[in-house]
Amino acid sequence: MATIDRVPVTVLTGFLGSGKTTLLNRILSENHGKRIAVIENEFGEVGVDHQLVIGAEEEIFETNNGCICCTVRGDLLRILGQLLKRRDRFDYVMIETTGMADPGPVAQTFFLDDDLKQHFMLDAIVTVVDALHFEQHLDEMREPGEQVAFADVILLNKTDLVPADALERIERRVRAINATAKIFRTQNSNLPVEKVLNVGAFDLDRALAVDAAFLEPQYPFEWAGVYQLEAGEYSLRTGAEAAGHQHGESHDHAGHVHGPDCDNGHVEHHGDDGTHDAHDHSGHDHGAGLGLLVLPAAAATADALVQQVEPAVRAFAEEARTVACEGVLHPGPGLNRIDVAHDGTHFTLQIPQAGAYAIFCEHAPAEFNLRLQGRKPAAERAFASHHHDEEIGSIGLTDPRPLDPVRLNDWLSYLLKSRGADILRMKGVINLRGEDRRYVFHGVHMMFDGRLERPWGEGARRSTLVFIGRNLDRHELEAGLESCVLPTAAK
Amino acid sequence: MKTPALLEPRASALLDDYVADLAWSPDGARLAIAGGEGGVFLAMHSASKSLAIRQLGEHGMGALAVAWQPKGEIVASSGQDNAIALWDGASGAEQRRLRPAMAWTEHLAWSPDGTQLASAAGKVLSLWTPAGEPLHKFDAHAGAIAAIGWDKPGRDLAAATNGAMVIHRIEPPQYATRQYKWPAGCQTVSFSPNGRMVASGMQDGSLHFWYLSSSKDSQMRGYPGKVHLTSWSGDSRWLASNAGNDIVCWDFSGKGPEGSKPAQLSGHTERVECLAFQPGGAYLVSAGRDWRLTLWWPGKAKAAIDAHLTDSEPSCVRWSPDGRHVAVGERKGKLTVFELVKVG
Repeated sequence: MATIDRVPVTVLTGFLGSGKTTLLNRILSENHGKRIAVIENEFGEVGVDHQLVIGAEEEIFETNNGCICCTVRGDLLRILGQLLKRRDRFDYVMIETTGMADPGPVAQTFFLDDDLKQHFMLDAIVTVVDALHFEQHLDEMREPGEQVAFADVILLNKTDLVPADALERIERRVRAINATAKIFRTQNSNLPVEKVLNVGAFDLDRALAVDAAFLEPQYPFEWAGVYQLEAGEYSLRTGAEAAGHQHGESHDHAGHVHGPDCDNGHVEHHGDDGTHDAHDHSGHDHGAGLGLLVLPAAAATADALVQQVEPAVRAFAEEARTVACEGVLHPGPGLNRIDVAHDGTHFTLQIPQAGAYAIFCEHAPAEFNLRLQGRKPAAERAFASHHHDEEIGSIGLTDPRPLDPVRLNDWLSYLLKSRGADILRMKGVINLRGEDRRYVFHGVHMMFDGRLERPWGEGARRSTLVFIGRNLDRHELEAGLESCVLPTAAK
Repeated sequence: MKTPALLEPRASALLDDYVADLAWSPDGARLAIAGGEGGVFLAMHSASKSLAIRQLGEHGMGALAVAWQPKGEIVASSGQDNAIALWDGASGAEQRRLRPAMAWTEHLAWSPDGTQLASAAGKVLSLWTPAGEPLHKFDAHAGAIAAIGWDKPGRDLAAATNGAMVIHRIEPPQYATRQYKWPAGCQTVSFSPNGRMVASGMQDGSLHFWYLSSSKDSQMRGYPGKVHLTSWSGDSRWLASNAGNDIVCWDFSGKGPEGSKPAQLSGHTERVECLAFQPGGAYLVSAGRDWRLTLWWPGKAKAAIDAHLTDSEPSCVRWSPDGRHVAVGERKGKLTVFELVKVG
């Protein structure tokens, strides 16, 4: 295929009111001198005086290959086809989808149609997230999760309307769904245009950029801290104490049941509106409790903490003992699952003898404002954990061993066929056996594009694969990758 | 084999626009042109070597379609300004500008007798009088309309949509609708001149046709990509379609094309983008991304019988109604009229 200058295309998604149109207007007004064609959804309302705004009815075509997830946007095929009928091309195309749109068909349109592939280049899917309403939407509907999962760039917008701790939690949830997107915190969709345009997310020439932490070994816990403790009883508490003050409308949502407050003395009232805070929205099923492990440590040092990581991983694999509010916790290799279903639960930790103790926590303690009375850890550490309860998530695999090209092809083909509906995005850089160049690929559902690209050079050769999708099974993917390590059987 | 005919360039001109669509006047003396960057033009074709071009008006950022009334003088055009304009082909004056929808009217087609103009915008198909008065607005189709076409007697008007070829009866029982469903995106409408069938190229790389009397259908698969060009020979024997760099012609003589191997015409070195059989005739012209205009004689000659290099990528090829001339428009604005010359 001739490599003429292809027109980059940005797909803008996000819920109604997220700030999508504001971002679009910002780009249009800041980019003087560039000819940008805007394809707007039927409910769109670009306010600026812009000549090249084209209305589109989002029309989904199913392709006839028997796969229901292989859908394209018929209206885009027609509109972009017409835009090619000019002697000079546009510099840029922006496609704004409706709030409830699934970005899949838009992205797939650029994989499926030869004409579009030749003349247009999908640059990036940009998703604007309304920080104020995101969690509520995420818990109630499937589209917000999909829009985040598909994104290459995410604007966590309206940060001024959300307290800092809630913002942290929201970003963690966004990150849990999509481990590879670039996330920008914005107010009023304000960020430099170059963060959104010419991102090159689908450009195979640009190496896969993944947060290194995402590819670290996975742990069943997100946090550990080591404390120097005397013998005695300590109070372990969750819930509001000094949590941020909440602004704007109440975040309380249906289905959140407040249990009877078992520690009235603990509830604090903030501000003159009298509301109390920290209704947890993190989406974890708190009814199932929080995994917590207390192990003796050799010393209250970071090194001693690390030494207990391995026993802790083993302990987290075992059955947990459920501990209700006001229950007692003991140090030892037995995992506890403490009740954090409502704010202000508290527990007693019995320390039989003075010494260092390491506490391993399934989720970051900040999510629950979990604290050991009057004590600060002497050392603490966060762990990469993709254990989360979102339906959609990211799984990263990395392996230094060269992979067999035939087996890799078999595995990926099988994967696309069997799991293509659930895999929203996949991308990877592969260390192929007997090949000096990197094999790079990306895919949207069952659409797949891959090729050999620049040589490995000096650095270590290492395969990196990222899958973003629904109900992905890490063990299945790891086993699949493992199957590619063996050489193809001689025929 | 001796070449029976050639295409000889007779006149050319350069437009300051991309040639998006072309329409011949019934007398074959004039051409209406829709420019991809917005212009609507009229070209006078005379015996001299040049074409006299004048711009009639514009359609905002781009003109999309142009259609000349059969047996008449009215030129219809549409564009990205969401308008349909009606022009007097004799004086060039704009007579009416309609804005039927907040959408692009991408397709225009006059009934064969010139009394009704069909227009398609998105999912909506409408009929107009030559004066621009609304005649009928059909219920919205399930999908956007990719092409429209009349059968030869003007009895039926068909709309190609995603999932169905929708055929509207224009004669009584007026506006009765038949749907020939198929789960793929229909790209073209081609009624066979003998009225027996309608064919459509498909988004999914197949060709589909329906026998109108029985509603039976057949699918021809194996195309390398989207089939967006279909054209019948005048005797309804051959149906030509684009297949990558090649042209595939299905033979409808005898038992029909089912199970047969089609004639494959090879000669273009890049994708075929324009394809048209001579009205009432047996010659086929094609143009491709290899900047070549090529003349074929399907069933008689396997190879091209003539070819011309164009100045840029051809964007539109149209036969004059009498089948004597071919107008070729290009991406860079060149317009050339060729004459079909019989040899020997």
